[in-house]
Amino acid sequence: MTELSRIRNFCIVAHIDHGKSTLADRLLEITHAVEGRDMRAQYLDKMDLERERGITIKAQSVRLSYEKDGGSYVLNLIDTPGHVDFTYEVSRSLAACEGAVLLVDAAQGIEAQTLANFHLARDAGLTIIPAVNKVDLPAAQPDEAAAEIAELVGCAAEDVLQVSAKSGLGVTDLADAIVDRVPPPQGDASAPLQAMIFDSMFDAYRGVITYVRVVNGELPSQARIRLMAVGLDVEAEEAGVQAPDPVPVERLTAGEVGYLVTGVKDVHEAKVGDTITLAGKHGASEPLPGYREPKPMVWSGLFPAEGGDYSELRDALDKLRLSDSALAYEPESSMALGFGFRCGFLGLLHMDIVKERLEREFNLELIATAPNVEFHVVKVGGEIVDVHNPSEMPDPGTYERCEEPMVLATVITPAEYLGPIFDLCQSRRGEMLDMKYLTPERAEVHYLLPLAEIIFDFFDQLKSRTRGYASLDYEPWGYQPADLVRVDILLHGEPVDAFSSVIHREKAYRYGRQMAERLRELIPRQHFEVAIQAAIGSRIIARETVKAKRKDVLAKCYGGDITRKRKLLEQQKKGKERMRRVGRVDVPQEAFISALRVDQGTGTQEAKK
Amino acid sequence: MSGLYVHVPFCLTRCGYCDFNAYEGLDHLRGRYTEALAREADLAAWGWAGERIETVFFGGGTPTRLETSDLIRVLDHFREIFAIADGAEVTIEANPDTVDEEKLSALREAGFNRLSIGAQSFDPAALAALERVHSPDSVRAAFAAARRAGYDDVNLDLIFGAEGETLSSWRSTLKGALALDPEHVSAYALTIEPNTPLGRRVAARTREAPDPDLQADMFALACDALGDAGFEHYEVSNWAQPGRECRHNLGYWRREPYLGLGAGAHSYRDGRRWWNLRPPEQYLASVEAGKLPAGGKEHLTVDDMRLEDVFLRLRTRDGLPAHMVEAGRAAHYLDEGLLARSKDRYVLTERGMFLANEMVLALTG
Repeated sequence: MTELSRIRNFCIVAHIDHGKSTLADRLLEITHAVEGRDMRAQYLDKMDLERERGITIKAQSVRLSYEKDGGSYVLNLIDTPGHVDFTYEVSRSLAACEGAVLLVDAAQGIEAQTLANFHLARDAGLTIIPAVNKVDLPAAQPDEAAAEIAELVGCAAEDVLQVSAKSGLGVTDLADAIVDRVPPPQGDASAPLQAMIFDSMFDAYRGVITYVRVVNGELPSQARIRLMAVGLDVEAEEAGVQAPDPVPVERLTAGEVGYLVTGVKDVHEAKVGDTITLAGKHGASEPLPGYREPKPMVWSGLFPAEGGDYSELRDALDKLRLSDSALAYEPESSMALGFGFRCGFLGLLHMDIVKERLEREFNLELIATAPNVEFHVVKVGGEIVDVHNPSEMPDPGTYERCEEPMVLATVITPAEYLGPIFDLCQSRRGEMLDMKYLTPERAEVHYLLPLAEIIFDFFDQLKSRTRGYASLDYEPWGYQPADLVRVDILLHGEPVDAFSSVIHREKAYRYGRQMAERLRELIPRQHFEVAIQAAIGSRIIARETVKAKRKDVLAKCYGGDITRKRKLLEQQKKGKERMRRVGRVDVPQEAFISALRVDQGTGTQEAKK
Repeated sequence: MSGLYVHVPFCLTRCGYCDFNAYEGLDHLRGRYTEALAREADLAAWGWAGERIETVFFGGGTPTRLETSDLIRVLDHFREIFAIADGAEVTIEANPDTVDEEKLSALREAGFNRLSIGAQSFDPAALAALERVHSPDSVRAAFAAARRAGYDDVNLDLIFGAEGETLSSWRSTLKGALALDPEHVSAYALTIEPNTPLGRRVAARTREAPDPDLQADMFALACDALGDAGFEHYEVSNWAQPGRECRHNLGYWRREPYLGLGAGAHSYRDGRRWWNLRPPEQYLASVEAGKLPAGGKEHLTVDDMRLEDVFLRLRTRDGLPAHMVEAGRAAHYLDEGLLARSKDRYVLTERGMFLANEMVLALTG
């Protein structure tokens, strides 16, 4: 057990690619937590996906031992996910800390997600240590960046640390500042146990491992514990600290951070934000505040690309669910795509990650329908229906109104791109709330926007209209009535459920026309003329035609080389078998994949900027 | 009945679209090749002893690149070792510039009784696009020579869809062909094969692939023009005056046995298909060493045979016995005029013929 006065719990708030993982690597080195030969880049990022994309999806905390002025300190670095999809997880990580390093790229300046997380950190009462990173890069403007941060934090520009996480410059000063400025944790070690789960992961051998901050009391290594939100009592198997490899300890006491092997087998039973206490009469009567059920924001249908893999997809989702408490799914059947699942995600990045993990870790080939948000439909008579699949949208005339989720969006941009950003937000039915200048060159704008508009290539548009300089963050705002309609796409008179979309009436025509045009390119000619129609109810709003195919014949068929002709025909037969049949129309898999591909951008492109 | 196919791989020049086993610049092998054909026949003969050969077909390449005397010697040799029926159909393919009356007469006398002339087009621009070296006039000259030499069964090969060819130029080609009053016309839609000079140019986008819709129009025009002239459309690409169908090719489509001799030639009998080495040098080396020039073989499975049976029959006016098609599969196509029912058989309409692949897949599943 460490004296509370010797503990510092902190996190790093930074934008993707501003050097958080690299800084963490340097801290591991200067505290000798990892020896040189074991070091690898982005040490704390667990999944290959994270290293590949240069982003942190799932945080991993680490305990560092640091000597300063003859004293020995424990620095608990609590890594945080840096993406808008995971705001709740970020808030729980912040709640486990007393301090936050605000790390900003000296060439890029502060960005919207950093700003959002900075506000979260300050609202949580954390001590902020501002720092500028990458000061040794040619394009760096450390003084400008420092001035911007100082303005935001409300400190003097000289108090902003100058760091190069890559070379190690200023990293020791930063560690010193953490010791000097971040207050030690407080907590009552003799009170009933309250430990907050700020992260949890599934380990194939050990079950669910939670990462906890002990707020009050003591967490013994082996004890019968209660997960308060779920109301489940289990035998905890082992408590310990990550340094960065797991080191078991006898107990974790108030103020400390560590891991607990819970003995549960499903992350849904040990959720981020939940409070752990002792089972029985020694337990706390109240959980810690701030727990929230994960709530999917974006929905999409996932279908096996080759029919028949449905059970494999189900098994894969069941397995993935063990390690992803935010993933929701329910069986769905589509006329066009067969059996699959309607899946709920925290956001687009989360959706991308799940899809990629399903494809990579479980070797599945998937077709995903275009993502949609959850609508609330108020039916005639007052009944409210949650619609997260366009096919569930009631027919026109059977409902009174429709409501859609709105988000409060923050955009930070060089002032010269304000015009294009106004245009973009305007075209996405946005309502501007306010705007302010961070510096004479950079502005912060707040918009109220429909979430449905954001998940439809908003991010890409924002990036392309601002040459990559603008950044975006958003948070849920609530529901608001909207004039929404379901647009159906019909092939040769048959509706293709996978292509249906619930969309604002003003955009319905454009959507219908675009889908029809896209499909005209993707659907091979059939021996009859194929009409592609977009419709609202029974009203056709767009039409394209795929002309009838008139030639499909092997030419010269003599000379006796019939083998080759037969093989060509067999190939053609296989190609045909791979197609999906909609009514009488053969539609290739690729058509579904391409037509449903929305180049929405998920924030990961930022890393490649 | 059985057929005998003889492949002659030599050409004066190789056309850009051609993916047959044909070569230019190998003429120095002609003497050895003639010998080899005879030797191969000797080697293969034991398996075909007693088999009645009803048709013989010399194809290529350009069979008429061989010396007349060589052709005659080879045919005579075949007569000695195979049971070639009296009244057998004996066809030779000829390119217009390689024949004259004297050569054709000699061949006629030796027993070649059917001539297939590689006319391809009567439009000089289309001939140029196809890289054919002859002119429309040399086709007329060759045809006239054939008649003088006594051939009463002459086919004209035509190709439609060459780059730049229009519907009206195709109409003139059809007229040009009909003006000669042939017994048989083969009209093929130009197909771009990837492993040909033309295929590579199309892939590199320096040449345009034929427009399938235009080819469909051309096909429809051929159906009309030849039909009006009294020809029967008895296979996707073949038309004949009544009774003048090419029996040799009918044999392929009806899956009769055939023996192929020469480089790359295919043979078929009793569910087995085998083929010779393609490169002429390899073929020669094998035969000269006294070995059958085997290049490969396959044993057709029941499914293979069924598929071949369906797609070959469906190409012809024979069509498919109704019992071979699952009930319900045909209905749409009958409605759409792509398929017709005549008594107990399903037969493709002319429009259906140009969609034969689709129809095969649709009817067999």
